[in-house]
Amino acid sequence: MKFAHIADCHLGGWREPKLQQLNLSAFMAAINNCLTEKVEFLLISGDLFNTSLPPIDILKEVVTGLKKIKDNKIRVYAIAGSHDYSPSGKTMLDVLENAGLLINVAKAVPVENKLQLEFTKDEKTGILFAGLPGRKGMLDKSYYAALDRESLKVKGTKIFLFHTAISEYKPKEYENMESMASSFLPEGFDYYAGGHVHEPLIVKQSGWLVMPGPLFPNNFAELEKLVHGSMVICEILESKFVPKLIKIPLVDIYKINMDCNEKSSEHVTGELLAALDETEGKIVLIRLHGTLASGKVTDIDFPSIYKKAQNSFFIMRNTSKLHSKDFEEIKVKIGSVDEVEKRIIEEHDSKTHLFENEKDIVRKLLMILSKEKAEGETKSAYEDRILEEFTNSITF
Amino acid sequence: MGVIGKVISGGFGKVIVRQKASEVIELGELLVSETPSKKLILQVYDLLYGSQLSQQNLELVSGLKLEENSDLELMDFSMRNYPLALLKGVLEIQVIPKMPKTLPIFFSDVRRLEEKDIPFFSSPKNPVFLGNLRSGTKTLNIEVCLPGDKALTHHILISAQTGKGKSNLAKVLLYKATKDANAGFLVLDPHDEYFGRHEDGLKNLKKTMYFSPSNPPPGSRQLILSLNTIKPSHLEGAMYLSDPQWQAIAAYSRAYKEDWVESLILEKELKVLFNEATINVVKRKLMQLLDIRIIEGKLVTKGIFSTSGGNSTVRDIVNEIENAKTVIIDTSSFSKNLEVLIGSIISSEIFKKYKRYKQSGQLKDKPAISIVIEEAPRVLGKDVLEKGSNIFSTIAREGRKFKIGLIAITQLPSLIPRDILANMNTKIILGTEMANERAALIASAAQDLTSDDRTIASLDTGEAIVTSSFLKMAVPIKIPLFKPVEESNQKINYPGLK
Repeated sequence: MKFAHIADCHLGGWREPKLQQLNLSAFMAAINNCLTEKVEFLLISGDLFNTSLPPIDILKEVVTGLKKIKDNKIRVYAIAGSHDYSPSGKTMLDVLENAGLLINVAKAVPVENKLQLEFTKDEKTGILFAGLPGRKGMLDKSYYAALDRESLKVKGTKIFLFHTAISEYKPKEYENMESMASSFLPEGFDYYAGGHVHEPLIVKQSGWLVMPGPLFPNNFAELEKLVHGSMVICEILESKFVPKLIKIPLVDIYKINMDCNEKSSEHVTGELLAALDETEGKIVLIRLHGTLASGKVTDIDFPSIYKKAQNSFFIMRNTSKLHSKDFEEIKVKIGSVDEVEKRIIEEHDSKTHLFENEKDIVRKLLMILSKEKAEGETKSAYEDRILEEFTNSITF
Repeated sequence: MGVIGKVISGGFGKVIVRQKASEVIELGELLVSETPSKKLILQVYDLLYGSQLSQQNLELVSGLKLEENSDLELMDFSMRNYPLALLKGVLEIQVIPKMPKTLPIFFSDVRRLEEKDIPFFSSPKNPVFLGNLRSGTKTLNIEVCLPGDKALTHHILISAQTGKGKSNLAKVLLYKATKDANAGFLVLDPHDEYFGRHEDGLKNLKKTMYFSPSNPPPGSRQLILSLNTIKPSHLEGAMYLSDPQWQAIAAYSRAYKEDWVESLILEKELKVLFNEATINVVKRKLMQLLDIRIIEGKLVTKGIFSTSGGNSTVRDIVNEIENAKTVIIDTSSFSKNLEVLIGSIISSEIFKKYKRYKQSGQLKDKPAISIVIEEAPRVLGKDVLEKGSNIFSTIAREGRKFKIGLIAITQLPSLIPRDILANMNTKIILGTEMANERAALIASAAQDLTSDDRTIASLDTGEAIVTSSFLKMAVPIKIPLFKPVEESNQKINYPGLK
C-alpha cells in the first residue's frame, strides 16, 4: 500500500505568469504521480495556496487536480499551513472540504485547558489521521503545548500532519526560522507528515519524521539550491513505512554565480555574455555579488544579456549583494527603525546632493510612504491621499 | 532584644564572652556589641566552660556527687559556673559596614543580631539568592543575595560532602536567579536533576530550556548536534592525543573545514602524509567518542551527533543563554569525555561570541553568563590541566573580562589548582568533614576563615558559609528546601481547528 505526501505548494506564489504556471504544473505532476504510483491517499501538509484567497484561475486548476484523484478513488487528507489562513482564520481548504475534495484532519476540542485531538479514519485502510494547522509566528506552538497526549494513545496505524519547523532538524540556511522542539509532536505515530521547511527531510525517530520540501521552488534561492520541487511516496510494507523522496523535474536550471569584485560593469557584461551558452528552455539564474571596480550595477548591459538568452524558459537575476564603489554599502549600528533611517539618510547625504533640504525631504517622504491604508478607506482614496501628501511635502 | 553575655577578656580575633545563665549561645551565632556610635558584629567560633572553682575543686566536688552524696549541689551554681564563648569580630558598622579594626568595649553587653542591625543586606541589582542569614542554628528573615553581574562573572565555587545539600543549593540558586537576575545559565547536568523531569525542578519556569538525548518531555529539545559543529579545539580535555595525532586532526580541519570529522573517519585524501597508525588511532578514538560507525562506506551516527540534524542546536542554545535564559543539558547518559566535549562545544561558542561583543562594544548590554559544572575537578582538576588547558580553565582565568563565569560544584576543591581556586571569588562552603578540603577552602577564601575550621566541619545539611569579595563578611546562611512555585497558565484560544 502506498500513499503520497506533499507540502508547501504555495500555488499562486510566483508573480511571473510563466513560473506561476510551472508551479501549477508541479501540482499536476504530483497528482499524476499519485495516479501512476496507485496511492491510496494523498497528504497535504499545509500551504497548498500561497494566500488565503487564491486567484480564481489557480483555484480552478487545483479543483481540477483534486477532482481527478477523487475520481480515481484517492482520498486527500490535509491541514492548513501558515499561508492558507487569513488573519480572521478563514481558509480556502474549507471550501475544498465542503466540495468533498479533501478532508481537513486538524480537528480538536478544548477539554479543561487541554486540547483533545480527534482522529479521522481512512475507512479503506483503517489508518488514523490527526493533525494541527500551521500558524504564522509559531502561534501553533500553543496548540502543541496544550495537547492532551493521553487521548492520542490509541492502537492502530497513525499519521500526524503538521506544518511547522522542527528545531532539531532545521537546515543551516533556516537557522533563524522560528521552530519548535520535536518533543512537542505527540508520541506514538508511525509517520509525521510535515511541511513548512522548504527542504526535504526524511528521518527515522520513534516514527518517520518527513518533510517533502516544496512542490516547486518558491524563489530564486530555492531554485538555485533545490533545482526541482519534490514529494514523498511512502510504501507501507507489513506495517513498516518506507518513505522515498521523488523529485519533480519540470525545467532545467542554468546557474551563473559570479564574483564581480574588481571587475568593471563592462567586464561583467562581457563575462556574462560569454557564460550564457545552451540556455534554451532552461530557467537561467544569474547571481552577481561583490563590489564593482568601476561603473554602476545599472551599467551592466542586462538587455543584451537577456537577448542572448532569449530562448531560455525564463531569466532571473539577483544583484542584492552587488555594489558599486560609487554607491557603497553603508554600515549602520543597530537601533530603532527611526535611528537606522536617520543614520542611513545622513550617510547618503554626504555622497549625493540632488536638492536643498535633502535630509528633511527624505525623512518626510519616508514618513508619508510608511502610512497604511485606513480602516474602510478604498484603495483609490488611499492612493490619492498619499499622492497629495507626497506632492505637498516636496518643495524644491 | 536582651543581653545574653558580657565581654570579659581576650583580644582581637578572640573576644571572650561570659554567657548569661538563662541564655544559650551557639557555635556560629552572630552577636552584637553596641556603643552609641557603632555596632560591632561578632561571631562565635568556639565554646568552652568557665568556672570560679579551680579544676581540682571541680574534680573533687564531682567525685563527691558521683560516689557519695547525689543530692550535693554547688552553692550559686550558675554564678560560679558558666559557658564562655570565643568570638571574632566580623563587621563594624558605623555609617558604612567595614572590616572591624577595634575591640568591643571591655565589659560591654552582647546581644543577639537582629534584622535591623544589617540593613545593607538588602537586595542588590540582579540578585542571586543563596539562602537566609543564619545565626547559629537560627534562621533570620534576611535574604542573602549576591550582585549577579559581579558574582557570576567572578566565578562561584560550591563545595560540600555528599548529602550536605549541594544539589538543593544549586537548584535554589538557579531557580531564583533564573527568575530574578538578568543572567544566562548553562547547566551541564550529569545527574539529570535540575530540570526535574520526575521531581521538583526548574521545569515550570518559562525561562528554562531543557535538552536531553532521550525522550525529552514535551516542549524540551532532543539533544542532537551536527557533526559539523565539532572543531578540533573542542576536543581539548575530552580526548588525549599525541602531538602527531593533533597534527593529523589539524590537517584534516584545514583541508576539509567543517567536514573534517567525516573526512578523517572516511580517511579521505590529504596532501600531507601521516603515519597510517596515527590516523587509525585518531579515527578509532573519534568513532568511539562520537558513537559513529561506518556502514557501506558511509557514516552512521548512533549517538547525539548527526549528519542530518542538529545544525542549529549550538546556536539556539547560545542564543537562549544570551537572552538570559537557563539552558539545562542532560548529560546523565554520557561518558565523562562526551560530557566534556558537549560542554566544550557550547562554552567555546559562548566565549567566542562574547569576545566579539567586547570587541564591538556591545558587551555592556549583554547579560552575564554562568556555566554550571558539576564535579568540577573533571575539567578543572590539577591532573587534567597538566595535560593541557581547556575552555573551562580559560573561562576560569579570563572569563571575567567577557562577562562569563563558572559555578563549579565539587566535593574535592583541593584537586583544583590554587590559582583557579583563588580566582573563584565567591565560595559557598557547606559541611565538609575532610580536613584537607577545608584547608584548601580556607586558604583561598575571600575572608579570613582560619578560626572557622571547626564550624565548617560541623555545618549541618543546608547550612553554609559564604565567603565572597562581594559580601562585607563571611556570611553564615541556611539554604531553604527547594520548592518551585507553580506559574499560572493563561487560557488560550485555538483558531483554525474544527
